[in-house]
Amino acid sequence: MKTFKILSVFSLSVILALGVLSPIFGADTVNVYSIWPENWARPMFEEFQKATGIKVNFVRFSSGEALARVIAEKANPRVDVLFGGPVETHAAGIAEGVFEPYKPPAFDKLAPRFKHKDGYWVAIADDPLCFMTNTQFLKEKKLNPPTSWEDLLNPAYRNMIQMADARTSGTAVTRIFSILEVFGRDEDKAFAYMKKLRPNVQLYTKSGGGGTLPVGLGQAAAGIFFIVDALDTKAKGYDVTISFPKEGIGSAAEAIALIKGAKNPELGKKLIDWATSPAMQSLFAKYKINFLPAHPDVSVEPSLAAVLKDAKIFPIDPDFAGKNRKRLVDRWVKEVLP
Amino acid sequence: MVATETKQSAWVRKDPAVALAVLVIWGFLGLFILFPLLRMLAEVFLQDGRVSAAGVFTILQDPNQLIALRNSLWLATLVGVGGTFFGFLFAFTAARSRIPTWLSVAIDGVILLPLISPPFTTAIGMIFSFGPRGLITYHLLGIQGATVYGLWSTLFSEIVTYFPIAYLALKPMLLAIDPNIEGMALSLGAGRTRVFRTITLPLCIPGLANSFLLLFSASLADFATPLILAGNSFPVLPTQAYLQITGLFDLKGGAVLSFVLLVPSLIVFFLQRYWVSRRFYVTITGKGAGQTPFDSVSTLVRWILVGLCFLTTFVIFYLYALLLFGSIVRALGANHTFTLEHYRIIFTEGKKAIQDTLIIAAFSMPLGGLYGVIVGYLTARKQFPTRLSMEIVSMINYALPGTIVGIAYLIAFNSPPIELAGTATIIIALYVFRYGATGIRTTIAMLQQIDRSIEEASESLGATSAMTFRRITLPLILPAFFSGLGVVFIRSMTAISATIFLVSINWTLITVRILENITELSLGPAAAFSVFIVAAVFVVLGIINGVLHRFRTPGLISAERMMGG
Repeated sequence: MKTFKILSVFSLSVILALGVLSPIFGADTVNVYSIWPENWARPMFEEFQKATGIKVNFVRFSSGEALARVIAEKANPRVDVLFGGPVETHAAGIAEGVFEPYKPPAFDKLAPRFKHKDGYWVAIADDPLCFMTNTQFLKEKKLNPPTSWEDLLNPAYRNMIQMADARTSGTAVTRIFSILEVFGRDEDKAFAYMKKLRPNVQLYTKSGGGGTLPVGLGQAAAGIFFIVDALDTKAKGYDVTISFPKEGIGSAAEAIALIKGAKNPELGKKLIDWATSPAMQSLFAKYKINFLPAHPDVSVEPSLAAVLKDAKIFPIDPDFAGKNRKRLVDRWVKEVLP
Repeated sequence: MVATETKQSAWVRKDPAVALAVLVIWGFLGLFILFPLLRMLAEVFLQDGRVSAAGVFTILQDPNQLIALRNSLWLATLVGVGGTFFGFLFAFTAARSRIPTWLSVAIDGVILLPLISPPFTTAIGMIFSFGPRGLITYHLLGIQGATVYGLWSTLFSEIVTYFPIAYLALKPMLLAIDPNIEGMALSLGAGRTRVFRTITLPLCIPGLANSFLLLFSASLADFATPLILAGNSFPVLPTQAYLQITGLFDLKGGAVLSFVLLVPSLIVFFLQRYWVSRRFYVTITGKGAGQTPFDSVSTLVRWILVGLCFLTTFVIFYLYALLLFGSIVRALGANHTFTLEHYRIIFTEGKKAIQDTLIIAAFSMPLGGLYGVIVGYLTARKQFPTRLSMEIVSMINYALPGTIVGIAYLIAFNSPPIELAGTATIIIALYVFRYGATGIRTTIAMLQQIDRSIEEASESLGATSAMTFRRITLPLILPAFFSGLGVVFIRSMTAISATIFLVSINWTLITVRILENITELSLGPAAAFSVFIVAAVFVVLGIINGVLHRFRTPGLISAERMMGG
């Protein structure tokens, strides 16, 4: 009866695989989708473990992907916390009913734009966009660093700009809302500008920082990135120039939120308490993470403050952004991307 | 009806073991092949509980998606033609140019690399070599503003990645053509060109068509290379479907997009499997005729052929050397000081991905191997109702592009009644029922060479069918089992197009990490991971090959059996 035996071994192993291979984590592990890249999220989570003994099990996704997963898993959430990412991501999630309101101790101290009034999300950092150009490219083409959105339309940049793809990246969505604000929320004008910029775009990258290395290496000339990614590129030794448009550019609060139906809500709350407090945000400087702290008791690191000194930066209204995100991304996919 | 029933029950009574096996296998096929596919079709065609083709029509009327469809088919055609050309070039050179053995072994070694590494590894090298500041375009040739994103670089990268499949499919066929036939034609006065045109090439046509179809479907299924290299000016369907699902979590949109791919893939697959591959010509000239050494090609042509092969091999070698180099320097393109930092990272921060991948591979390998042997044996040797449909159904997951299978699994197992999303099981099941199919083909091919009368003799001497299987058939098909193991292992280590939809917080895979690393620009760890995969596959294949040699069935794992995406 060898056939039979082999077959039963086969079936048994399949059944075994069905049951046993769902890993059982210890009680003191919190599951997290991180939108922050791993090289920033990891040191933060290690410090959290040092401070509280709670281990963080996390996977990194771009904000669109992370939100998509949280929505897809609504019936049976697999993580407890959505960590980081521009706040419009979280704002869009509220409408989908995926978050549980929670007000950490730091809640009352935060400025109104750094928290949802009911506590559906709370900011852990602030992150303005900026222009980043390859310095050598500027020299070769005898250009000044771009200081206006119009400057990016210069034919010298033809096929040399990289920026993020709105389907996956929150950086891109913040960028679209920035452009919308610059044009006084006149959507048609804003989309006309984006379409005019399209021939200069070499590539829309999957991840928000995806274009920083190409710009650093000169594979692309310029891009629109979060300041945290741009300064990181500079810190790695690439010769890049950071500049800001005189019309202004948007800044997105980076937020954290508790998932509705989380399996470990108490541990998730502890992570939120820690991340919204000076305990985490004062570590940004130590790990050379150039986010602006959201908590008023943590001062901005001096060199970062110097970069931002003369920049005209406006916040993105999270409610407006959350309501219009999907529609604008769809329009972008249809009109700008092709 | 009555007749069928008696026939069926007679069949069950005669051989209960086989009946049980058939039943169990159908259970698995239903659960892991038919159910996901039907759920996906429901997603595509059901709208608010009513059947409607509106979703498909919306896509077919969207000019952007039509462009993506046209691009996908065009790219696949070009890859099919280009890859077949290079595959034939190598196969012909290897079979007819009498190059030294060491050289042909070296060439074989290098061009196998793309087959055992994740499908986008050549893409990394491409970006570094051919961009506006690329090592070749800018630093070597001084070209400014070169564009690396688009059709040509994607095409180049896919040809480099997939032409070895054509080579492996064409070489045995060329070797099977008795050179004496060509020799006779030559001695009868035909010129070498005429011999090639009127004898060698016509004999190769089924093989060439076969190779074209293999490459066509490989390219149609590949989403990772276009994701990195095609840019936005050359969208292709698998990539669009991926972004639709991961970015916008539009399951329906992604399902519809990939459904559009389903039709051409199935046509190509069954064309290749049931038409072309049955038309191989065999040249029989009688045994013991002896081979008179002669040259099918002139010295000049031989050197041109060898030169071309050498050049192509060098390009592949260069791309992989660049990958290795990228894994041991601080930052490729910027800072070339030596470091082992990236390896430290993959073995600390990346340890989970490595562990998960190996655990999943360890489970998938034996299951996939067993599955292949059981289904192969049943369909090739046993008579039972639904035999032919079992053979066809078992090939479905393998025939479809990975994106479709991945999306189908995600839709089917994301919610009750059978909720597997987030477990290792879903990934293991995908590997077993997708890549285990290669083992079915191998087993069938193997059994076709074994004379049935051996088994019949055993049964007529009174052995049960189970005993015959154990004592006679099993030892004979063990090699098929082991090569099935090899294929499933390679695929477990390198596949991405289907599994990218199935990774979770609990289970992640090296290939997904590599892609994440590439998009996050940690190219060092991406390169180190890739080197690790190539090394791991080499070790395991070495072991399996060692086992196969013990059964005196040496030889490469054939091209078709290593296919997939």
